[in-house]
Amino acid sequence: MLEVHDIVCGYGGVTALRGISLQVQAGQLVALIGANGAGKSTTLRAISGLVPPRSGQMFFDGKEITRARPPRVLASGIAHCPEGRRVFPHMTVEENLDMGAYLRGDSAEVAADRDRIYQEFPRLAERRRQAAGTLSGGEQQMLAIGRALMSRPRLIMFDEPSLGLAPNIVERTFAIIRRIRDAGTTVLLVEQNAFAALEMCDHAYLLENGRIVLAGTGAALIENEHVRKAYLGG
Amino acid sequence: MSEFLQHLINMLVLGGTYALLGIGLTLIFGIMNVVNFTHGVLYTFGAYIMFIVVQQLGLNFFLALPVAVVAGWLLGAVIELTLLRPLRGSDIDTTMLVMIGAWIAMQSATLWIWGGVAKSVATPFPEAPLVLGPVSVSWLRLFVLAAAALLIVVTYLLINRTKLGCAMRATFQDQDTASLMGVNVDLIYTSTFAIGSSLAAAAGALLGPVYVIFPQMGDLAAVKAFAIVILGGLGNITGAVIGGFILALAEELGAGYISSGYRDAMGFLIIIAVLIFKPTGLFARSERVG
Repeated sequence: MLEVHDIVCGYGGVTALRGISLQVQAGQLVALIGANGAGKSTTLRAISGLVPPRSGQMFFDGKEITRARPPRVLASGIAHCPEGRRVFPHMTVEENLDMGAYLRGDSAEVAADRDRIYQEFPRLAERRRQAAGTLSGGEQQMLAIGRALMSRPRLIMFDEPSLGLAPNIVERTFAIIRRIRDAGTTVLLVEQNAFAALEMCDHAYLLENGRIVLAGTGAALIENEHVRKAYLGG
Repeated sequence: MSEFLQHLINMLVLGGTYALLGIGLTLIFGIMNVVNFTHGVLYTFGAYIMFIVVQQLGLNFFLALPVAVVAGWLLGAVIELTLLRPLRGSDIDTTMLVMIGAWIAMQSATLWIWGGVAKSVATPFPEAPLVLGPVSVSWLRLFVLAAAALLIVVTYLLINRTKLGCAMRATFQDQDTASLMGVNVDLIYTSTFAIGSSLAAAAGALLGPVYVIFPQMGDLAAVKAFAIVILGGLGNITGAVIGGFILALAEELGAGYISSGYRDAMGFLIIIAVLIFKPTGLFARSERVG
């Protein structure tokens, strides 16, 4: 479904990605793990068009998206739920959800999707007229996920969804992500919590210093000696 | 007492156009972060469009106002596309210098085309003012207030109730995330600058016929617009409206009870006082658009 070939990417003089290749098959949950600064977020930002790559190619469903700008990448069916949630703080919950459906013209269907999100997350329904900046971290994460779903993506990319959340909210967030995959949406997950990510994914890649150093099923990576030592604490 | 009532009436008329100037600048300076020295020139431009349409082309006065709004929108879009878009991401000093250059160039162009002699615009309103008990107000000024109020409401609805307004707010709160939602950020920058400019042109088109029209008329208007934006808080639409009326009130009272020479000093006094006592402006940060 998504194919990334040898992407090189950087900010100014710093090279963040030194030739990344990965594949995401339709219906899978694929995890990208690695330390801080390994290039996980940059990989997602390159795919969604926020950071144009210096070289390499990317294809989604066979169509090239290498230098496509974010609106075109989204229109092709890839949603990006960014690190730190990034809800629009001075806009209401409902306006945030509507921003997720910005490119869609079918307003009746959009309203129906919004109601489904409210059913899924009743807290958001209660606070629909409230400024998103006043929500708790967990509520903002639910809003960010709901907003990403509003574009009806075929592939959804999550960047560190557990960051800064209380443990019970982290559990809940991972359960939601699994449910999204089970409902048929493909997921590419970037996560620092390597154990949780490997446990729930179908396939995983390990990034170190802007390169993919290991790939395999989640179970295989959990068993890997290097992964155990460096990322799973023994 | 009747003198005070008269000042209040004058304040309403003046405040409406000040609010327009302030909203236009708070969009550009407050949320786009462009120190817009061309705002005053756009005000002058709107007044000259009024002069061209009414005096030179002999067309209807009421038609001239929408023409000025559209012309201001177009000139604003051209300024954004040619001067600001290539400078996106460069530091604020560079942008400021370029905008000062644009201000001087456009003001000189005005002087070159129409000369330095002040022009006036004939209006279709009766000479005799409307007298309401102890106070009186000219029909032209009443029209100015009504038109300004209409434009303020339209702008408010545009920003708060339309998809474009939603995209504008999203862009200025978080540009990257807005583009992840599918917003064409470049288009939003151009539209926002164009809308702000069209409001400045509208203010000039409304006040031009009240006073006289000359190439430097926008300089003082620009200073007042900055005072209003600082008073209301950067990026705060409601604050800009209230700030516009507060400045108008201060000018009316300053001119009426201190000395008419102090009228234009009030804006500067307000800037100084706000920066000393409440640098974030009178209204809360949470009211910001972006």
